Amino acid sequence: MAGRPRDKGVISRGEEQGLWRDVWHQLRRNRLAMSGLVIFLGFVILALVGLSLTTGKSPLLDPSLVRLPEKLRPPLAKARADLLHPEELPPLGIYLMGTDELGRDVFSRMMQGAWVSLTVGFVAVGIAVGIGIVLGGIAGYYGAKPLRIGTILGLAGLFSGPFALASKRLDIFLLLEGAGILVLVSTRYLGLRKGFVARFFTLPCVSVDTLIMRAVDVMLCFPSFFLILTVVAILPPSIYNIMAVIGLTSWMGTARFVRAEFLSLREQDFVLAAKALGLSDARIIFRHLVPNAVAPVLVSATLGIAGAILTEAGLSFLGFGVPPPHATWGNILSDGKRFLFDAPWLTLIPGSAVLTVVLAFNLFGEGLREALNPRLRRSR
Amino acid sequence: MLLRKILLGAPVLVLGLLIQSVLWVPTYEEQTRGNPRRLVQFVTGSLGDASLLNPILAADSASSELAGLIFEGLVDRDEELRFRGRLAERWEIEEEASFLIHRPPKGCEGMSMEDLFQWLQEKLGSWPQVKRVEISPGEERRETVEVSEAGTRRKVGVRISIPPKVKVLLREVDQDFFQKLEGLLGDGYFSSFAPEVHCEFSEKLDPATQKRLAGELISATEHHPIITFHLRKGIMFHDGSPVTSKDVLFTYNAIMDPANLSPRMPDFEPVLRIETPDDLTVRVVYKRLYSPALGTWSMGILPQHLLNEEALAREAAQRGLDPKTFSIRQSGFNRRPVGCGPFKFHEWKSDQYVILKRFDNYWEGPPNYEEYAFRIIPDLLTQEMEFYAGTIDSYAVQPHQVERLKGDPRYQAFSGLSFGYTYIGYNMRREPFRDSRVRKALGMAIDVEKILKYVLHGQGERITGPFPKQTDYYDHTIEPIPYDPRGALKLLEEAGWKRDSLGKLVKNGQQMRFTLITNSGNDIRKAILAIAQDSWRQLGIDVRTDTVEWAVFINERINKRDFDAVVLGWSMGIDPDLYQIWHSSQTGPNQLNFVGFQDPSADELIVRIRQEYDHEKQVDLCRRLHRIIAREQPYTFLYVSKWTAVLDRRIVIMERDANGNPVYRRITPTKTGNYAFHFNRWIKLPHVPVFSE
Amino acid sequence: MISFLARSIVQKLVTLFFVSIVSFAVVHMAPGEPSQVDPMNPKFTPEVVERFRKAFHLDEPLHVQYLLFYGDLLRGKTVSWKDNQPVLAKIWERFLNSLPLFLVGSLLTWTISFPLGVQAAVKRGSLLDKTTTFTAYFFISIPGFFFAYLLIVGVVEVLRVPVVGMETFGLSQAPLTHRVMDRIWHLVIPSILGATVGVAELSRYVRSQMLEVESQDYIRTARAKGLPQDMVHYKHALRNALLPFVTMFGLMIPGLIGGSVIIESIFSWPGMGRMAYEAIMARDYPVILTLNFLSAVLVLVGTLVSDILYMLVDPRIRL
Repeated sequence: MAGRPRDKGVISRGEEQGLWRDVWHQLRRNRLAMSGLVIFLGFVILALVGLSLTTGKSPLLDPSLVRLPEKLRPPLAKARADLLHPEELPPLGIYLMGTDELGRDVFSRMMQGAWVSLTVGFVAVGIAVGIGIVLGGIAGYYGAKPLRIGTILGLAGLFSGPFALASKRLDIFLLLEGAGILVLVSTRYLGLRKGFVARFFTLPCVSVDTLIMRAVDVMLCFPSFFLILTVVAILPPSIYNIMAVIGLTSWMGTARFVRAEFLSLREQDFVLAAKALGLSDARIIFRHLVPNAVAPVLVSATLGIAGAILTEAGLSFLGFGVPPPHATWGNILSDGKRFLFDAPWLTLIPGSAVLTVVLAFNLFGEGLREALNPRLRRSR
Repeated sequence: MLLRKILLGAPVLVLGLLIQSVLWVPTYEEQTRGNPRRLVQFVTGSLGDASLLNPILAADSASSELAGLIFEGLVDRDEELRFRGRLAERWEIEEEASFLIHRPPKGCEGMSMEDLFQWLQEKLGSWPQVKRVEISPGEERRETVEVSEAGTRRKVGVRISIPPKVKVLLREVDQDFFQKLEGLLGDGYFSSFAPEVHCEFSEKLDPATQKRLAGELISATEHHPIITFHLRKGIMFHDGSPVTSKDVLFTYNAIMDPANLSPRMPDFEPVLRIETPDDLTVRVVYKRLYSPALGTWSMGILPQHLLNEEALAREAAQRGLDPKTFSIRQSGFNRRPVGCGPFKFHEWKSDQYVILKRFDNYWEGPPNYEEYAFRIIPDLLTQEMEFYAGTIDSYAVQPHQVERLKGDPRYQAFSGLSFGYTYIGYNMRREPFRDSRVRKALGMAIDVEKILKYVLHGQGERITGPFPKQTDYYDHTIEPIPYDPRGALKLLEEAGWKRDSLGKLVKNGQQMRFTLITNSGNDIRKAILAIAQDSWRQLGIDVRTDTVEWAVFINERINKRDFDAVVLGWSMGIDPDLYQIWHSSQTGPNQLNFVGFQDPSADELIVRIRQEYDHEKQVDLCRRLHRIIAREQPYTFLYVSKWTAVLDRRIVIMERDANGNPVYRRITPTKTGNYAFHFNRWIKLPHVPVFSE
Repeated sequence: MISFLARSIVQKLVTLFFVSIVSFAVVHMAPGEPSQVDPMNPKFTPEVVERFRKAFHLDEPLHVQYLLFYGDLLRGKTVSWKDNQPVLAKIWERFLNSLPLFLVGSLLTWTISFPLGVQAAVKRGSLLDKTTTFTAYFFISIPGFFFAYLLIVGVVEVLRVPVVGMETFGLSQAPLTHRVMDRIWHLVIPSILGATVGVAELSRYVRSQMLEVESQDYIRTARAKGLPQDMVHYKHALRNALLPFVTMFGLMIPGLIGGSVIIESIFSWPGMGRMAYEAIMARDYPVILTLNFLSAVLVLVGTLVSDILYMLVDPRIRL
């Protein structure tokens, strides 16, 4: 094996496990990346524990219990039992991380926030990666296949329908969707007919690849933070909207990676062999191409989760983060900035927490990238 | 290796250059204590930039603050909130009330016209409030009106025969004058007037339409209040031109010109005409009774010679724009204003600062400060830091910082009540808010004292009604709703809502459920949401909360009446005219009575308040309105917030005694908490002064 | 080459057209009136609101508004609704404010990333490598505003000098060198904040490029020939590793119109980021759409330039 350059594409099933084992060995040796992984796993456990401890009717740690007389207490302060009802006392009788301006226990809020921040990160990135793989895959695999004008018009109708729905014009929505479907269906069958209209609709136009790449370009033309800000300012504030928006504005990178991988993989022998065997397109894509293309996607997903958590904090700073009663580390941090001189723990605690977790994700992602890059592997 | 040297040397060089620049920058100490110019400068910080420095156009607070220093109006309010003349030295308020003699008054049947006129002159002339009586004989008028009937619109001619009109000039405005007249002329004299009898339409119309159109064309009685202002002599604009009545007339015309899109238009809509008999007299005649009228004349007066048609046309030509579409809104005047106020415009760097310099020829004497600097610092925290460092002189303190700053010997603090209040408004068109007992009970469940103590850190006071607490109109005898959750439950039971075995509040098997919303970006309102939700949850109500971005909040929820309950605030002026907020006609979409409050006795009071010019009578009417609203609880009135401003303790008031020597005294706020009332007399001393008490 | 250019330009113009439609649609779908029209202000009766809407052409059908607006835009005549200033003039002014921040930030990023990346690659796996990796990622992981506040409070407490704003207020009478240095100082902290993210990413990329080149056979040959290490790294490896960075110049062009709204708010820097944010809040459609349009133009120009540079620089590519 030594001396022969490994071609990334030629990986059979048996060798696949070997590849991942290699990656794992590489990672193990990178101490920074491993500590990142450990912290990452710790964070996930913390989030799950936090979820169980802070939800329900009378949770052990109540993040939304308002105790006005106890506001802005420093960390490790003893709860003043004389001012509170017995059920309002925190466990152990002290505020581990102090209280905020409404007397809510910061420790409980951080525990709840861990889960929410994690969810925001994972779902947003999940959406981005999902869209990216689908679009990138289609662009890479079907590449130069030309689309007919009719198909394009039909798709245009289908896609612009939701815009009409958002402006509450149900009639236009139905019109667009209906026309779109009609055109799509008829284009399929128009190939056999003659006449100017039929010829027009079946004329090949741009290729799939060009179409999708132009769509990527259009999305890239909008400065992403502003797109997020505009949309978040418009839509009713909710945690789901924020996840969706962050996801919908960050799929472009993944799409590009996946397309590049698919383009190079498509010409490999094993794909040609699979086609010769008569395997369906879908099977080829999902069982053979995607697992091989997944490496860069994994890296960008890890970094993406970190980015999503930071973006959410930035949106909270501007006032558009996840609305109450959900607590996220981002909105605890930005709520606390008013009290920087009076209660600095309200910023230092969530700030350091976000820093640690995001750093962990980044280091792990970086380590993964190194481990997965064949050219950087030391030759053995 | 050259490349290596470049590679390693470049960052060192760049960083070095950047970091050494700090040595050239003056420290905070040098800027404040080492700089004598700092003493004659007043620097303030603002979160947002001004948009247009023109009092008739701008509605945002930054522009208004600056326009208040650059421009001056005819009147404003003094320390006791009474009107005081600024550009106007004095003024008189009279009324020209006119009525039609459509039938002979009681006891005068059969009199000839001349005898009737004689009789009226004698009778009315003997009333002490009447200054003059004028009678004009009847006349005819021809007009065309537009009629839209059965989907068609057409013009119809009409001949109006106006009976003789009596114009009475009254010494003061009297909204009940015509009721008093009926004592003389006979009961029901005016209500029996049928306008359609006097109108002859060229076509036959539907009787209801005829009646309506006739009512618009002719009416039995008319009130025309008149305010006559006498301007001070010798007041100049910043460019030296004199301030005359023509400028006042021009300002009015500019506000009413639709091309200027002035948001002040509704304030001046009731003006019928303005006469300028000479350079220093302005006579404003109104179409109808409108008591906020005098207050509207605090509007800054614009210089007509810089903004009239010729001036605008010249500017348009100079800038190569179309003079027909060039209005005051596009003029460069808004970026380089000229007014007659104590400070004149010097410089405006967009989004950085605005600098005003003192106007030496100000009619009341030049202010002590030489310069007023308005710095735009959008982040509250950095504003705070600049304040501590001494590069800003005043700072809007947040409630939780008040205690700490009040105790600091370097600063002096002033507090006052704001003009406005915060409330929870209930959509009275929806269940369960239709019942006033439910609304009252919801109010009783919230511990407002706690909100005041912990959310506002004591920087607020309870409020019970719709008027600003520091004015006379507010009835201080009305007690606020007590905090009584048990009493609330009892009231709710009366209204049919009982707690079931699970603790839920139900009626007819349905739990009480609604959503409380407020606008995003306001931490205090967010806190109130949390507290209200918590309090109501304990009663067994299922309350959800939401914060919505401002524009969406207003357009999708408030204007479309799509809400259950809201936490909001009103910020108001001193005038007690509350028509737009509380009158039953203002409940349509996009109007301000969005809770849907409709009470006929309240309506009547609101209309009378608007028309009452006598202060004492107005106060009485307002207090009655206050009682009705406090009883009905369309809002749960929460609190009025106190503002606290903190100033450097070295700022004092300096006046001159008889020999021209400076005399210093401490700044004291007025009765209403306005500490900046004597701003023109402020100056900063080099050291903290010690006053002999 | 020419045909590639021509095709590219045509495709980019079509993309631009679609961008203009999408941004127009998004902006108009937003509920909310331009802030000049404040319905909660008791002074704004429905008639006044109507009049404002008419003046801003908001009552016309959407496609008419689209043509009116873009017609104005292409003739350079768009006017802001907030304060009636011509939009292009406003953008230019703010651009000049943001430009020094962008330039200094980029300068810092590029001059720091290269030595860091090269050294990290050359001494791969060493303490230096690990430290730089850690530090680089440390700085990207701090939430921006948190780091900004810490820096500001730190500098103000320790050095007692003003940090916010583009210049120290009140220095208009000072001599020229003082004013220039003052401007430079005010650039430092915000640029450092902006540069930290860039340094982390760029130095990582430099490092990976260097490593890739260094694993090539010809480098091994050079080393086997006995060339001194310095020469190997700098004369041979680095020169070739630099290739893709030339193309990155093109991709920097869109950054001209960017600007972090958070950093600009905290530092009271009147730049493009804050202008865009305020325009969105005030629903100042002309400003938002013009900014979007310009940003799209810059992105498309940037990618075109980058593609051309790539072609020129890499002899293996011939389109």
